[in-house]
Amino acid sequence: MKIALTVWEDRISPVFDVANRLLLADIKQGRMVKTSLMEINPGSLPQLVEIFKRMGISVLICGAISEIPANIISDGGIQLIPFISGKTDHILDAYIIGKPIMPAFAMPGVKRCRRRRGQLLPLSGNEPNRGKRPGRVSS
Amino acid sequence: MAKGPKNKKFDPEVTRIILESISDGVFTVDHNWKITSFNRAAEKITGIAAEEAIGRHCWEVFRSNMCEHDCALKRTMQKNKPFVSTSAYIVNHDKKQIPISVSTSPLIDANGRILGGVEIFRDLSLVEELRDALYSRFRMADMVSRSPAMKDIFNILPQVAESDSTVLLEGETGTGKELAARAIHDLSHRAKKPFIAINCGALPDTLLESELFGYKAGAFTNAVKDKPGHFAAAEGGTIFLDEIGETSPAFQVRLLRVIEEREYQPLGGVKKQKADIRIIAAANQSLSDLVEKGAFRRDLFYRINVVRLRMPPLRERMDDIPLLASHFIARLNRLRGKNITGLHPEAMEILMSHSFPGNIRELENIIEHAFVLCADGDIHPRHLPSHMISGTSGTITRRNGHDPVKAAEIQVINQTLARHRFNRKSTAAELGMHKTTLLRKIRKLGIKLPAVDGRSRD
Repeated sequence: MKIALTVWEDRISPVFDVANRLLLADIKQGRMVKTSLMEINPGSLPQLVEIFKRMGISVLICGAISEIPANIISDGGIQLIPFISGKTDHILDAYIIGKPIMPAFAMPGVKRCRRRRGQLLPLSGNEPNRGKRPGRVSS
Repeated sequence: MAKGPKNKKFDPEVTRIILESISDGVFTVDHNWKITSFNRAAEKITGIAAEEAIGRHCWEVFRSNMCEHDCALKRTMQKNKPFVSTSAYIVNHDKKQIPISVSTSPLIDANGRILGGVEIFRDLSLVEELRDALYSRFRMADMVSRSPAMKDIFNILPQVAESDSTVLLEGETGTGKELAARAIHDLSHRAKKPFIAINCGALPDTLLESELFGYKAGAFTNAVKDKPGHFAAAEGGTIFLDEIGETSPAFQVRLLRVIEEREYQPLGGVKKQKADIRIIAAANQSLSDLVEKGAFRRDLFYRINVVRLRMPPLRERMDDIPLLASHFIARLNRLRGKNITGLHPEAMEILMSHSFPGNIRELENIIEHAFVLCADGDIHPRHLPSHMISGTSGTITRRNGHDPVKAAEIQVINQTLARHRFNRKSTAAELGMHKTTLLRKIRKLGIKLPAVDGRSRD
């Protein structure tokens, strides 16, 4: 599977809406086989979703994101894991071994507001694997 | 001797109380960009508790559009000087953008050492809401305007809508006749019933009849079963007949009968059907002129001319261009998921000097064109269609844009040429100069003329 992370230097970009660089990671059998960087234009979201689909990217990990881009990405069938912060290699390491990245890498104020009856809710509400805990590697 | 205020020590508790009671969000950072204090207003605006914020990197907490590329705190700490009232937005945990204004200042101790930075931010949501409320004063349904010409229409529209009378809308193409018709429908008691718009000029006469009134099986070859028309589909609602001036006299007779008798007969049918429909007609030329020329039936004209509204062309409401442009930008931002902030002053200047023969539709197309080329931020002249910046269609060329006298001359000549369909002789006559003087000026100012010179028309 291929996942994408919006990056700023060596960490997750704080706001997706103005991020302009993606780290693409190709994961096979629980190992990262390849990473690459890609410049993006978050102003052209439908095109970005098309590029994701063409490249087989199924998951996007990003920082804070506004409602419209979040909806466009989720409606495009991309699993969105937003409001994540921290170093990208730490997040990738956790993601690959199936360690939940939420709440470990959640931005401040996010887990508190998203917790309901002790459960962590999917943040966009439109993820294809709704019901699973976000941030886990799907088998 | 009493000590002066200089020697008085300030109680840190008092400082804390002051910070906690002000309505602006305040936080401080150290040299590692980690938050060291976070006041109550900051908690309220961001939705993040101080205990969660303190010790975290400021960008993880603040999450503004400036953090990554243009951090105000970074600028302040690098230049060791304050920055005030920078506009930005933050994204809260509900994925809502909160508009804010930001001021930053270095945090300096008594010995002049920089300890970090302080950021003060103000929630502008209320200001934006008030701006929206103000903006709503200039709108009616999907139409926006602050020009006096449109204000009259806005004032009269609710009464027109309530009256249920037949309405005639006149105006050039692209002036918003269909939007006005829809506004009348939406404001009327028929709002919950259908609104059907049909362009009479786009269909041949016989097809128009069958489309409007429907037909019965066997009415003509291939009419194998009954087909209800637009009148049946719009029952109880409103039908908008655009370009009514383009219809044939035979069709005008049938339409007159429908309006008079409030019933119609489908093609090939023998029974008349009742029509509880409001008719709004529109024409892009003066119907009274067509009546004088004998191209439009006088009796039908009087029937539909119960309430006549003239939609002014955009060149008569140039002060609406910024408002309309913002309206289209906001709408396209929603549709395309973009974050275009507005028009750069230079791009606005180009728009304001354009003659807009295609009216509001042309402006909408220009903004749509710019959306394709502009990724985010402001729309600049380079994002506008090339014909707008190359000096055709009445636009001031940028190379002359810095000379106001030349720019004004170009604008006046272009607009007069367009009005006279590029006929040089009549343009020169209106401008009060000889034709050769006009041609000399056209050459000197670099005004581009179309291949057709208009001589054959006048």
